[in-house]
Amino acid sequence: MNDSTLLDPQARAYGNMRTVIVAIVLVFLLAPSLLVIPISFGGPGEITFPPRDFSWDLYRQLFTSADWVGAIMRSLRVAVLTMVIALLIGVPAAYGLVRYDFPGKKLVLLLVMSPILIPVIVISLGLYLYLSRLGAVGTVSGLVAAHVAYVTPFVMMTVMAGVKKLDPALEFASSIMGANRRTVFFKVVLPQLLPSIGAGALFAFLISFDEVVIAWFLTGASTTTLPVKMYSSIQWDISPVISAVSALLTFLSILFCCLSVWLQPSQRTE
Amino acid sequence: MTQKKDALLYVGPATLFLFLVILVPLGFVAWTSLHTGDSWSFAAYTQLFESVLFRRTLWTTFEISILASLGSLLLGYPVALHLARVSARKRAIYMVLVLIPFWTSILVKSFAFTVLLGRSGMVNTFLSWLAGSPVEVPMLFNRLGVMVGMTNYLVPFVVFPVLASLLAIDRSLYQAAEIMGAKPPRIFFRITLPLSLPGVAAAVLSTTVMSMGFFVIPALLGGRQDVMLSNLVDFYTRETLDWNMASAIGVILLGIVTIAALGVDRLQKFGARPRTAAV
Repeated sequence: MNDSTLLDPQARAYGNMRTVIVAIVLVFLLAPSLLVIPISFGGPGEITFPPRDFSWDLYRQLFTSADWVGAIMRSLRVAVLTMVIALLIGVPAAYGLVRYDFPGKKLVLLLVMSPILIPVIVISLGLYLYLSRLGAVGTVSGLVAAHVAYVTPFVMMTVMAGVKKLDPALEFASSIMGANRRTVFFKVVLPQLLPSIGAGALFAFLISFDEVVIAWFLTGASTTTLPVKMYSSIQWDISPVISAVSALLTFLSILFCCLSVWLQPSQRTE
Repeated sequence: MTQKKDALLYVGPATLFLFLVILVPLGFVAWTSLHTGDSWSFAAYTQLFESVLFRRTLWTTFEISILASLGSLLLGYPVALHLARVSARKRAIYMVLVLIPFWTSILVKSFAFTVLLGRSGMVNTFLSWLAGSPVEVPMLFNRLGVMVGMTNYLVPFVVFPVLASLLAIDRSLYQAAEIMGAKPPRIFFRITLPLSLPGVAAAVLSTTVMSMGFFVIPALLGGRQDVMLSNLVDFYTRETLDWNMASAIGVILLGIVTIAALGVDRLQKFGARPRTAAV
């Protein structure tokens, strides 16, 4: 098909037009993510692009500010805890939902996937009302619980896709050979699932690390996470330090993006 | 019996957790929306529908969501089309270019747009250079800013489903059309577009539903005319401490999104049926 379209000048013209449109859209998509990098080296004066001179000042400011460093560390802690707990409950659930049939399975699936559908503001409001009754607004554990619920469906989607690709014959064969269920799950199923679990872990970590709306409702002055600090900082006083934070977050996104593509090579060709 | 016990062992913890952390809080929202003082009442809902602020916000939410969804379709469709046409190796590279913005924090993007679209931002500088005289198009804290931010966020969510339905089209259809002498526009309108409609419908509906709950972009890039339902929930919860009203808005927003999502589900089943039958 490609050969024949190359011969037709009209088809070639359309092809060129498409390439131009696609290039413009990709520039629009990538510009905000990538431009923060040069801006972050612009020095502590006015935020401009292109920056007038090159300096590390904003990064120095960022890492010497106890406020910002505290927020970064808190976000890291919340994201790591969220990732671990979400994997602990999400991976077995994904396996169970693909391999077993039981009454009420559809309802369970709807419940565990619901955080993707429900507007995050409604979840945040509900948790705010709930946790303020329990006196847990502003605690790290309240935020982690909320984030676990929020990221679990993303972990499960990734892992369920992985389980569906497994050959059940392997599990069957090992149980015939005398392996009990625990051995089958840990020795046969989990090792094969590692790439999708890895991708799910990346999802869980980054979604929690970047999450702002739930954290905006559930954190107090002493438990502010990085996104909440960025949000109020962009809203009230655009301090140039934000560009250094943004550049770091962009690096993190690019890294995670490459890792996820590397972990799930099948998605590239599909 | 052991089957059921096994299933419970695997699925139980997650189910219990999500029940406690999602369903119970949702119950709290519904309960709070129906309680004024100590008694049951619909006061919050009647008050909302009498409020000019709420009615205007509801309208704005619909307007922005639908426009943003269509805008991202316009931008995303050509990208999906291009990705469907290139070789698998090139597609992998393009995929990364679409995935990077997909993985980028919405705060980073919002911040970048406040710098790019500001009065003396890069876009205005460029326009001034083009025009040869100082230009200051207001692009921030208005509808334009919200649309730019939202379409930027939504395009990847259009590209994935549309690409999936474009890749599902049988290649021999194109060859047949070409052999019969059809020109590219005709091929596009008679084959590509109609056969990609299930993906397009899924993309438009899911991005509209997603947009309904947007919070950060209207708050950071929009003005007072661009307040959406989520921002109103935030306003009532944190500014006026009227949890009753905030919850009622939450219930209405959830209702709208649920109805729309059921529509998406129906449509996907409808779209899937003839295609599987044809293969």
